[in-house]
Amino acid sequence: MPGNIRSVSFAWMVLVYLLFCSRRASVGAAPICANAQAGCHVLSLANLFDRVIQHSARTHSISNDLHSEFEQYFLPSKNHIGRVSRNCHTSSILTPNGKDNAQRMAREELTEVILKLLVAWRDPLWHFHQNMAHHHDFNNFSSNKALEMSDMVHELRKGVEKVAEKMQVLGIISNTVSSLASPEASLPSDSAEWRLMKDYNLLSCFRRDSNKVQNYLKILKCRIVPEHGC
Amino acid sequence: MRKVILLLLLLCFTAHTRGKLHSPPAKPGLTSCRSPEKETFTCWWKPGSDGGLPTTHALYYRKESSETVYECPDYHTAGENSCFFNKNDTSIWVNYNITVVATNALGRAFSDPVEIDVVYIVKPNPPEKVTVTVMEDKGWPFLRVSWEPPHKADTRSGWITLIYELRVKLEEEIDWEMHLAGQQKMFNIFSLRSGGKYLVEVRCKPDHGFWSEWSSTSYIKVPDYFHREKSTWILITVFSTFTFLILMWLLHMNRHNLKHCILPPVPGPKIKGFDKQLLKNGKSNQIFSALVVPDFPPATSSNYEDFQVEYLEVYVRREQELVLEESKDLHNSCLKSESSTSDCDSGRGSCDSHTLLMAKCREAKEGERQTDRECSPMRTEAQRRLKDWEEEALNYAHAGIVSLEMSSGRVKTWPSVFSPLPRYSSSPLDQQSSLQMAKQLSLSTSSYLTQPGHSTKEALGQSYWDLCLSSKQPHLLNPPTPVCRELQAHSDVNISSIGHKRAPAGPRSPALHTTEYVEVQRVDNKDTLLLQPVVQGCGRMGGCFQMPHGEVYSKVKGVDSDNVLLLQREGMGEDSCHKSCTVSTTQKPSGCIYTAVPVRDEMATMANGYVDTATMCTLHTC
Repeated sequence: MPGNIRSVSFAWMVLVYLLFCSRRASVGAAPICANAQAGCHVLSLANLFDRVIQHSARTHSISNDLHSEFEQYFLPSKNHIGRVSRNCHTSSILTPNGKDNAQRMAREELTEVILKLLVAWRDPLWHFHQNMAHHHDFNNFSSNKALEMSDMVHELRKGVEKVAEKMQVLGIISNTVSSLASPEASLPSDSAEWRLMKDYNLLSCFRRDSNKVQNYLKILKCRIVPEHGC
Repeated sequence: MRKVILLLLLLCFTAHTRGKLHSPPAKPGLTSCRSPEKETFTCWWKPGSDGGLPTTHALYYRKESSETVYECPDYHTAGENSCFFNKNDTSIWVNYNITVVATNALGRAFSDPVEIDVVYIVKPNPPEKVTVTVMEDKGWPFLRVSWEPPHKADTRSGWITLIYELRVKLEEEIDWEMHLAGQQKMFNIFSLRSGGKYLVEVRCKPDHGFWSEWSSTSYIKVPDYFHREKSTWILITVFSTFTFLILMWLLHMNRHNLKHCILPPVPGPKIKGFDKQLLKNGKSNQIFSALVVPDFPPATSSNYEDFQVEYLEVYVRREQELVLEESKDLHNSCLKSESSTSDCDSGRGSCDSHTLLMAKCREAKEGERQTDRECSPMRTEAQRRLKDWEEEALNYAHAGIVSLEMSSGRVKTWPSVFSPLPRYSSSPLDQQSSLQMAKQLSLSTSSYLTQPGHSTKEALGQSYWDLCLSSKQPHLLNPPTPVCRELQAHSDVNISSIGHKRAPAGPRSPALHTTEYVEVQRVDNKDTLLLQPVVQGCGRMGGCFQMPHGEVYSKVKGVDSDNVLLLQREGMGEDSCHKSCTVSTTQKPSGCIYTAVPVRDEMATMANGYVDTATMCTLHTC
């Protein structure tokens, strides 16, 4: 018996060690080199932009699906749409509503707007997912989508921050964007607004905002690195 | 009263004839709103009935989170019943609440409000400058289709992202072949039919929006490349011809083998001394004469060595059956056995000799008993054995007859015959056992082989029985010899007596089938048919002398006056005599065998002959 225990514990230790090592290895590959050091795999700005744009496209697609699902099952009559108040909590954030406006906006401003939007949606989406999980009317698929949406927004924000960092490093934009590192400061003061919105409202608002984010990113990309697919 | 009614009717009629009744307009309806480039958009409506009065329509819209109602800025650019919103009036990501109002003199009608967000109503114009060219890739043609996005859609700044789709078909076909091109502005189409005329169309769509209309059709004709296909066919034909020729050549080379495989040759007759040619060409006489083995039967009595050897099969019965009849009289049994009918024309060409069988079985039995004994008291032993043998012979004969009567077929007896013999043969031969065997054999064969005198061997008149050694081999006569001699005398007497006893018997039928093989050594000057026990497979050579596995062989000494063929167990007797006297029983049979070899050779010098029991049998009335 003691021999067995010893062998088992030894096996466990080996396993744990291996896992730890693998984790270390994977973590080691993750960070992108900021200073373009030798032997470090540097992602180009265009590559980074492509990644974040893909991410935002995915986010928007999920939000679109959820919105249409909502519309289909919970709001069959079209009239109901009109009656819903469209007060998104992000309406305080100033966003360009046209191509000219967007193009006229400075890169830093645009990047800031994107980050503001993404930061503003982190908590509401999390709570929305919680609501969905407890709501018996939703199936697991929708609940999973909501969770995925929430995670993606989080990832997207990180990605955009990285892009901003890269742009600052390359001197494309000034360093004013870095002040967004503390998102809490830029949140609208009446953060309790979003709690008043109903789920449908929330979804339609987010659908629009994700589209905005995607569009702004594309504009940024074609303005900064136009040679790739613009 | 009548007049009032008529007046009313008239009024109604005139009102009707004047035209429709004026009414407020019917409710108009917004059909669609579309934006071609996400910067401007247009809405169309469908008016309802105008109520007979000139009706005007107006479009009012309200932006999201604002109560200000605006009217359509442009009613004309987009055509009738439309409203065009230019860049300044268009806000993206803003919900528009649009309503159309129809107004006439009598009233107005409001359409149902429609909420739109410009982002989701984008339907671009079809792609422009679609060009199709035929290009070649390693001799095979393909179509290269290229286009440009609609000029209004601003894809350069990233404002709109378009994905494209094209469709291709042959002129005579009905169904289109669809290809999704993604965001690229160029596409290759392969697998074309030579000489075909193709139609190509392209359309596009923003990532969230509507498909555009198909672009104008582009026509292209693929040049003929049939000659290339033809050359391929020629190549294939030539290659297959070569392969076919090679296969044919290979088959030709191996036709003999194939012939053997498919039509195996008929095996020819494999009878020794059989001349196929003679059979084909010769006359019947010649054929029959050829069939007869030239050296058989032996014509001369001088040289037996030239004779071919055939084997007399002697079967020894099983012990069990023999035990039953221990008390019967041999004479009676012999008579009975002889008189009983049996089929001597068996396939094996040999006839059963029940007496012989019985004798053999008995001897085997005796042989077993003697395995552990010494051979010192030989004389007494021999005498005792002789008596035993007599009894056994009687028993055997009787049992044989009984068995014959009992058993329907010969097959039953054969195993019994063989079984004791191996035991007998495996044990070292000693004088007594061999003596007895020889005696029995002689007895049985004599009983069997008795003939009215047809056989050449019969007319010998010898009635002595040389058991152990013949006088021709004096060198082998050792101390055992006098014993043998004595035994011989005894046996002679017995045999002769037995033989005589049996003499008056009627026609003896060779009812008993023998399964032992006897090799006739020769017929000596005394007209003695000397039979040599032959080991299966060895006898011809004479050099190897292994104990027969199941058979005992004897040498025909002679035929007595009663036409009884007397067998002499010369070889065996010698062997056994020699061995039993000089060698202990524990000695291996091989050793015994070895010593017997020179004897064998000596005997072999004599003319070899054999007894063809079949011929004997046929001669005798069965």
